[in-house]
Amino acid sequence: MYLVQHFYEAHARYLGLELVAGKSGLSRRINKAEVHRPGLSLTGYLKGFVGARILVFGKQEIEYLRELESKIRAERLKAVLTPSTPAVIIARGFRPPKELIVLCDKNKIPLFRATSTATNLLSRITFLLLEEFCPSVTLHGTLVEMFGVGVLIQGESSVGKSEAALGLIERGHRLISDDVVRVKKKEGSYLAGSGPELTRHLMEIRGIGIINVAHLYGAVCVRPDKGIDIVVKLEEWDDQHFYDRVGLDEKFIDILGISVPYHVLPVKPGRDVVLLLETIALNHRLKDMGYNSAKEFNAKLLETIARRQKKKVIHETHP
Amino acid sequence: MKLIRKVKVKNSLGLHTRPAAAIVKLLQPRKSAVFFTYRNETINARSIMSILMLAAKKNAQIVVTIDGDDAEATMEYLVNAFDQQFGEK
Repeated sequence: MYLVQHFYEAHARYLGLELVAGKSGLSRRINKAEVHRPGLSLTGYLKGFVGARILVFGKQEIEYLRELESKIRAERLKAVLTPSTPAVIIARGFRPPKELIVLCDKNKIPLFRATSTATNLLSRITFLLLEEFCPSVTLHGTLVEMFGVGVLIQGESSVGKSEAALGLIERGHRLISDDVVRVKKKEGSYLAGSGPELTRHLMEIRGIGIINVAHLYGAVCVRPDKGIDIVVKLEEWDDQHFYDRVGLDEKFIDILGISVPYHVLPVKPGRDVVLLLETIALNHRLKDMGYNSAKEFNAKLLETIARRQKKKVIHETHP
Repeated sequence: MKLIRKVKVKNSLGLHTRPAAAIVKLLQPRKSAVFFTYRNETINARSIMSILMLAAKKNAQIVVTIDGDDAEATMEYLVNAFDQQFGEK
């Protein structure tokens, strides 16, 4: 549940908001990640008007309202202020019409004044709301960045996720979050992971306890968020299981409707997990650049076989 | 078997580091998957950091979900531990 109050507290400074009226309406809910400049709706044309959007009054709206008679002005404003309107914002610090102040107080709709222009407000608020309303999920795993690639390390408890991350940090890679990763689907197209504020950059290592990585290794080895490019699942080595030996078939895992390349990495004594994770990340970069080691090799192999077959045919037809 | 139950945090300091450590210790020999849900966030109860992240205060209601063969016994142990305030009384 996202209230106007949350929005106001979080972004008042950024947007230069000042509460003018309707204070008792701060507990109104924002249900739609949309902002609207009423413009045409103020002329009385309300077909297709959506009431649940935040209204932003710009210079034109204010100028237009000024030209109206007081009674009509109140009528038109009344029409755009629906029971589900979360808030009204006046751009450029304009003084709101008296009728609007009265209506907002009466209907308990928060009325703000902002310093910037309406266009500016529209884009900024849309961005902030989209960010707030994007689908998210909390995952168990450790998010690290290696060579610019965001890798989410998953696996059962005590398989060695944190230890692997510690090894990676020591090699100069960065930790985003250990154990708990909040994943957001941004702009509907990519995943961004971050750690919860409270436990950010903390790690729990069995036998040592809770450590603060940012303090131990310095600011260079942490970052607040990162896109998730690959998911690696660490697993106890199972002799019965057949692990990927060639890497021709790529596996994917679904997170919030986005498929992310997925690797299963078996762990057993003697296998350097840190090095393997680095290799997976590097190989991903290479694939991103258009070179797939396994596929390139396979193509070369097929070509060689085809060439040999051709030679054989020639030999057979011209002995 | 899957069990879902609400438990209440009774410790006066809430679910801080020591109780979290006690929960993880209690779950270590158990086989079932255990999840806590609090304020719309579901986390793996075998991870100390995850429990700490919840920052559950005194009297917070936590939904415990246990799924596995020893779900019943695990739930009993866990509810009991919450009731006993993890030995902090």
